[in-house]
Amino acid sequence: MTHLFGVLTTGTSALLTQQRAINVTGNNIANVNTPGYSRQKLNLETNTPVYTAAGLMSFGVNSTGIERVYDRFLGVQLNNENAALGRWEAQQGMLDRVEVVFDESDGYGLNQAMSDFWNAWQNLSLNPSGSTERSMVAATSQGLADAIREKYAELEQIQEDIDTALESGVETVNRLVAQIADLNQKIASTESGGISANDYRDSRDLVLKQLAEIIDIKSFENSDGQVVVSVADGRPLVETGTTRQLQTQTNADGHTEILWPDVSNSPVTITSRITGGKIGGWLQTRDTQIAGYQDQLDALADGLRGQVNAVHAAGYGLDGTTGTNLFDDSTSGAADFRVNPDILSNLDLIAAAATSGGVPGNADNAIAVYDLRTAMTMSAGTATFDTAVNTLVSSVGYDVQTATANSSHQAEMMTYLENYRESVSGVSLDEEMVNLVKFEAAYNAAAKMISMADDMLNTLMSIVG
Amino acid sequence: MRITQNMMSNIFMNNLRRQTEAMLQRQEQIASQKRINRPSDDPSGMGRVLAGRSSLSAISQYADNIKQGKTRLEFSEETLKLVDDLVQQARRVAEEKSGDSVTAAERSFAAEQVKEIYDQVLQLANSKFGERYLFSGDQTNTAPFVRDDDYNATYQGDDGSFKIPIADHVVVDIDADGRNYFQAEADGGVNIFDELRDLINGLENTDLEAGSTQIRATVDPLQNAHVQIMNKRSEAGPKLYRLQATEEHWTNVKTTVQNAIGREEDVDVAQAVIELKNLETAYESTLAAASRIIQPSLVNFLK
Repeated sequence: MTHLFGVLTTGTSALLTQQRAINVTGNNIANVNTPGYSRQKLNLETNTPVYTAAGLMSFGVNSTGIERVYDRFLGVQLNNENAALGRWEAQQGMLDRVEVVFDESDGYGLNQAMSDFWNAWQNLSLNPSGSTERSMVAATSQGLADAIREKYAELEQIQEDIDTALESGVETVNRLVAQIADLNQKIASTESGGISANDYRDSRDLVLKQLAEIIDIKSFENSDGQVVVSVADGRPLVETGTTRQLQTQTNADGHTEILWPDVSNSPVTITSRITGGKIGGWLQTRDTQIAGYQDQLDALADGLRGQVNAVHAAGYGLDGTTGTNLFDDSTSGAADFRVNPDILSNLDLIAAAATSGGVPGNADNAIAVYDLRTAMTMSAGTATFDTAVNTLVSSVGYDVQTATANSSHQAEMMTYLENYRESVSGVSLDEEMVNLVKFEAAYNAAAKMISMADDMLNTLMSIVG
Repeated sequence: MRITQNMMSNIFMNNLRRQTEAMLQRQEQIASQKRINRPSDDPSGMGRVLAGRSSLSAISQYADNIKQGKTRLEFSEETLKLVDDLVQQARRVAEEKSGDSVTAAERSFAAEQVKEIYDQVLQLANSKFGERYLFSGDQTNTAPFVRDDDYNATYQGDDGSFKIPIADHVVVDIDADGRNYFQAEADGGVNIFDELRDLINGLENTDLEAGSTQIRATVDPLQNAHVQIMNKRSEAGPKLYRLQATEEHWTNVKTTVQNAIGREEDVDVAQAVIELKNLETAYESTLAAASRIIQPSLVNFLK
C-alpha cells in the first residue's frame, strides 16, 4: 500500500495539524492575560495504522481534541478561600469606618467628653452658685449626651450603608447565578457531543469564584457536567433545570434580611446562616460587631441616666427644688440620650446642694455626682464610666485589627492559590514561543515533504511521458 | 514548579503593595510622632492611653481646685489678720480709756473710734471671695452679719463649710461658719461684736464710773478674741500645708502619667527612620529586580 500519494496524504495531515497546533498556541498567547483562562493544548495522535507489505504503518497525524490544563480540585479550595477573603475584606471596609467614629487619637472624643463632664461638676463644687460653673455643667452634660447620641447615630448610618451593600450584593448573586445556569446549559449541550467545552468551563469557574467572593457557596459538578450551587447550609441556588433567586426584605428593625425561596417558592429567612463572602462579612459587622458597640453605648447611656439622675435628683437646685433629673429619662438607651430640657432652660435646677437649707453654698451633691467618676457603676459593678468608654474604644480597635490581619492573611492565601493555579493553568510565553518554533519547524518540514513528493511525481511523469 | 510571566508580575505587585503600605505606616508615624494613630494600631495601648488621659484630666482639675483653695485660705488669712489688728486696737482703747481720769470728751472721741473699728470688723466679716461671702456657711449669697442701730450683730449664715476636692474621695474642709470666728460664745469663746458693742456703750456711758467698769470688763474678752482669731488663723496652716503637699504630689503624678502615655503612644523616631530607610532599600531592590526579571522573554531572543 505504500505509494507516492500516501506521502502526500501524510504531508497534508501534518500541515493541517501543525497549523491547528499553531492556532491553539496563538490562542494561548492571545489569552495570556485573560482572567480565568486555562492554557489549552492540542492532543496529537498518529492516524490509524494500515497493513502494508512492510508491516503495520501509519500515514500522518491527527488531532484528537483540544484539552484545557487545570487542577480540578483547586477550584473548590479557591472558592472557599475567596469567600473568606470576601468576608474579612467586607468587615475591614466597614469597621474602618466604625474606627473613624471612635477615633480618640487626637484627644477629642467620648473620653474627653466624659472628662469634661466630671471636671465641670468639680468646678461647680468650688462655686455652687456660680452661673459660669452652672452653664459649664449644662454644656458638658449636653456635650457628653451629644457625643454618645451622635456615635450611636453614626453607627446606625453604617448599618444602613451595609443594608444598601447587601441589596446590591444580593442582586449580584442573582446575576451570577443566572450566568452559571446559562453556562451549565452550554457546557452540557456542548459536551453531550463529546467535545470538551473548555472556554465555557473557564468562564464558569471564574463566575463561581466571583460568586464565592460575595456569598459562601458549596458547589459540585454532577455527571452531565453541570455544577450544583448551594448557599446557607445546603439550600440550592442552581440545580439542573432550576435556579432560585435570593430576595431581600426589610425587618422590624429596618434592616435588610436575606430570603431564599423554598420548594413551594415561599421565602425562608437565611440571614443568620450566611457566614462567608462579602454578604457574610457585612452581616456579621452589622448584627454582631456594630450591634455590640451599640449595646455598649446603650449601657453607658442607661448607666449615666440611672446613676447621675439618682444622685442629682436627691440634691437641691439654687431655687430649692429637688427631684430634678439631669438626663431626660423618658427614653432609654443611647439613641435618644439627652439632657433634661428643664435644666437647659433653667440652670438653677442643677442640684449642687445636698440639703434645701444648704442652698446656695453647699456643694455636697456636686461632689457626690463627681464621685460617680470613680464608682464601679458599669459592667455589673466591675468598671467605671471612664473604663467603659475606654473598653469600647479598645474593642473597636481589636475588631479592626483582627479584620485587617485576617483579610491580609486571606489575601496572601489567595495569592498563593492563584499562583498555584497559574503554575498549572497559566500561559507561559516562553513555553508558547518554544511550541511555536516547534510547530513551525514541523510545518516547514511537512511542506518540504510535499514538495519532495511533487518532485518525485514529476520524475515519474517524465518517464511515463 | 512551572513559572509563568503572570506569576512573576503578581508576586512583584504583591510585594510592592506590602512594601508601600509599610512605608506609608512609618511615614505616618514619623509625621505624627505617634505610634498609635488609630485604635487598631494597638488596641490595648490605646486603652491605656485613654485611661492615662482620664487621669491627666482629673489631675489638672484637682490641681486647679488646690490653687483655688490656697487662694481662698490666703485671702481669709489676710482678712483675719486685719480683724486681729482691729481687735487689738480696740483692746488698747479699752485699756487706755478705762481710767477714771479720762474725760467724757476723750471717751466720746474714743467711742467714735471704736464704732469705726466695729464697722470695719463687720465689713471684714462680710468679705467676699469672688461672688461668695467667706463667713456665712452655705448661705454664700447672704451677708453673714448685720447690725442694728444699737450695734447688736446677728448671724444670718449657717454652719456650712467650704469644701475643696483634692483627690478622689478626699475633700478638704474649710470652716465657713462666721460664728466660729466672730460669735463663738456658744463654744466658750468670745462674741467679738458684743464686746465691741459693750466697749462703745461703756465709752458713751454718761456715768463715767459705771462706764469705766463696763470698759474694763471688755479688756480680757478682747484679749481672748485675739487668741480666738489667732487659733482660727493657725488652723489654716496645716490645711495650706496639706494643699501644698497634695499639689506637689499631683505635679509628680502628672509627670509620671505623661511619661507613661508618651511611652505608650509616642514613636521612637530614630527607630522609625531606620525602619523607613530599610524599607526604602528593600523597595528599591524589588523595583530593580523587577526591571531585570520581568522584561526578558524568549520573544526578545528569537529572530
